Amino acid sequence: MATGIQFSAVTHTYRPPRGKPVLALDGVSLEVKDREFLALLGPSGCGKSTLLYLLGGFLPVENGEISVGGKKVQGPGPDRGIVFQNFALFPWKTVRQNVLYGLEKQGVPRPERARRAQAMIELVHLNGFEDSYPSQLSGGMKQRVAIARTLAVEPQILLMDEPFGALDAQTRALMHEELLAIMRRAPKTVVFVTHDVREAVYLADRVAVMSARPGRIKEIVDTRLPGGTNPEVQQTPEFAQKVEHLWQLVRDEAIKAQAQATHG
Amino acid sequence: MILRFLIRIFPLVLLAGLWEIAPRIGWINPEALPPASAVAAAWYRLLMSGDLVYNGVSSLINVSAGLSLGIVVGIAAGVLMAWYPAVDAAVSPLMKSLYPMPKSALIPVMILWFGLGAGSKIASIFMGCLLPVVLSSYNGARGVEQTLIWSALGLGASRRRVLWEVIVPGALPEIMAGTRNALAISFILLVSSEFLVGQRGLGYLISFLGDGGVYDAMFAGVLTVSAIGFFADRIYLYFMQRTLRWRE
Amino acid sequence: MSEKSEKAGEYGLMALRVGSIVVVLGAWQLTAMAHVFSDFLLPSLSSVLLRLYHDLVTGDLIRGIELTLIRTFIGFAIAAAGGVAIGVAIARVPLARWFFDPLVSVGLPMPKVAFLPVFMLWFGVFDVSKVLMIGFSAIFPVIVEAWAGTQNIDKYMSWSALSLGVGKKRFLWEIALPAALPQVFTGLQVALPISLIVAIICEMQMGGQGLGGSIMTDMRFADSPGVFSGIVAIALVGMVLVKAMELLRRRLLVWHQETQSE
Repeated sequence: MATGIQFSAVTHTYRPPRGKPVLALDGVSLEVKDREFLALLGPSGCGKSTLLYLLGGFLPVENGEISVGGKKVQGPGPDRGIVFQNFALFPWKTVRQNVLYGLEKQGVPRPERARRAQAMIELVHLNGFEDSYPSQLSGGMKQRVAIARTLAVEPQILLMDEPFGALDAQTRALMHEELLAIMRRAPKTVVFVTHDVREAVYLADRVAVMSARPGRIKEIVDTRLPGGTNPEVQQTPEFAQKVEHLWQLVRDEAIKAQAQATHG
Repeated sequence: MILRFLIRIFPLVLLAGLWEIAPRIGWINPEALPPASAVAAAWYRLLMSGDLVYNGVSSLINVSAGLSLGIVVGIAAGVLMAWYPAVDAAVSPLMKSLYPMPKSALIPVMILWFGLGAGSKIASIFMGCLLPVVLSSYNGARGVEQTLIWSALGLGASRRRVLWEVIVPGALPEIMAGTRNALAISFILLVSSEFLVGQRGLGYLISFLGDGGVYDAMFAGVLTVSAIGFFADRIYLYFMQRTLRWRE
Repeated sequence: MSEKSEKAGEYGLMALRVGSIVVVLGAWQLTAMAHVFSDFLLPSLSSVLLRLYHDLVTGDLIRGIELTLIRTFIGFAIAAAGGVAIGVAIARVPLARWFFDPLVSVGLPMPKVAFLPVFMLWFGVFDVSKVLMIGFSAIFPVIVEAWAGTQNIDKYMSWSALSLGVGKKRFLWEIALPAALPQVFTGLQVALPISLIVAIICEMQMGGQGLGGSIMTDMRFADSPGVFSGIVAIALVGMVLVKAMELLRRRLLVWHQETQSE
């Protein structure tokens, strides 16, 4: 089944309860191929997260169209799993109960959902912590629970909203490895929002660079590298060139975004 | 802007309308709930006869006295407790044990000690206000960031100056929040003590009118006290927000 | 500071803590015995304790506590159920918000005890009016906290739940209420002492035995050991209630980060 994603001239206006409406996205058109890992890269406020939320069905698409496998997006659903920067775990549930939640909602019978939940917990290397509460876990562990919870319902598309932004640099590097390992075992279409150029180049097949607000697609860069996704590829000159290329694209937008932040 | 305000208070307007109509058409016994206009008329009569002002002033004096005492002593105690561990150790067990006690229970003791007049009321209010102010001053003072204190000391301030110039302003948001609490408590104790004993005050007036069966005036009194409590809080809130403007 | 002097400092502080209570109690007893104030103004600690013991043995104390607590709990239950229902409704139903917002804003800072004579007029001088008065006074903080707790649940957590397939109907029970529970419980923790305070005030005003009523009776008979022992009893009840709520919080909210950091 095709799980290609199509954004057609998506425009979105942010309407705060008090204050003037702001144009967040301006005519974004983009195609994400099946099983592709696409990064949305851009400065703060450029609308990259908004684009993700529209795809996820959390915000209504008012102008333009977003379709998945040919069907228009109508609202949230387990076909588009999402992982947030602040983990968004259910604090009153244990790790196991968090991971089970989606399976319960999908009506998976009890023995099978126990098995699948356990498999997911093992996939993210959290065996032994099944009965812990999120408040007892470190940031990296919480994010792994979030990933396990999302993957448990076997979404065709994985949406990630700066998922490693709240983690320290070392944990982040480890999480990159884990994510790539998981993707190797069960490839999915991934749309990954980040403002970190190196992260985008390393993880993604293609990187869509977005302009400062109102967000548009500035350029799309292919970032597959001859070394594949081994960590050592980050030391190669090809990697450095890609990073430099993307940084040049992003730099001006980042300066514009800074000015927006102070003048609003 | 005005329109938004009107929409916001409209449910109150609706209720006021209901209050006027329901007793008149017999939905509610007009003895039990006189129509709004009758209460308004009674309020006006109370005002003109001087009863309202006389008792109102008495109440306001009592509540101000009790509250101010409570605030002054409370802030001093709370901040000193936060700053000097010895004071903390000596005083805080007492505070902790007194905290869960309903201060309204102290009213009879205050009556025993200070008689049936203003003294017992002021004392009751003082006792009720004290602990919230002490607690919030204490927490506020302790919450002042260590880095701020060290910076001040490093710039040459003596310990005592740091207390007054860094700790108290730093604790101010929490102190003001605790005082707002104390304000509400002071009204509760004022009204309760005036219900129980005394010859003056709005609580006494309400009670007196109720015993005499003059219910429209009684309602007028109840609403007056409620309104005073409400506006006192609003005025304080405005004052608090202006003072704490530097907060993000 | 060397370890030895640190330890000495700690012991010193602990001594001060225990010491201060002992000193106050001791001073109380001695002052009373020295008749610095009249027996009327300051009955001795021993006479108060004796009186407490006497009331305990005759069963008066238990009966009084029972009555006061029953009223407190029934009023509290009204405030809790009503407050949570209204607070959650305000957060989720725009019409409810429009209607209740001004009522709560206006009602919260008002001294609700001022309505005591009104409740007496409407519902008499027995338990019904007391319980309703308690409920009326205690409901406001519950509404405010339930409202805030439900309103402020993490948007991303809600979205995750939606993405995982929760239906709108189950969302309230499965996600919104558990997420709001810490704040709702805080509201309940504020409402319970209020319930006790108002119960005492009602009893003092309307009579009807119970701890508040007995204290007023004792005061009228100038029975000051009675008054003081009443206060001690009420203080103990207050302490037990607050502590009980704290323990309950720790059990219910074992997953909450505050509990974890203790």
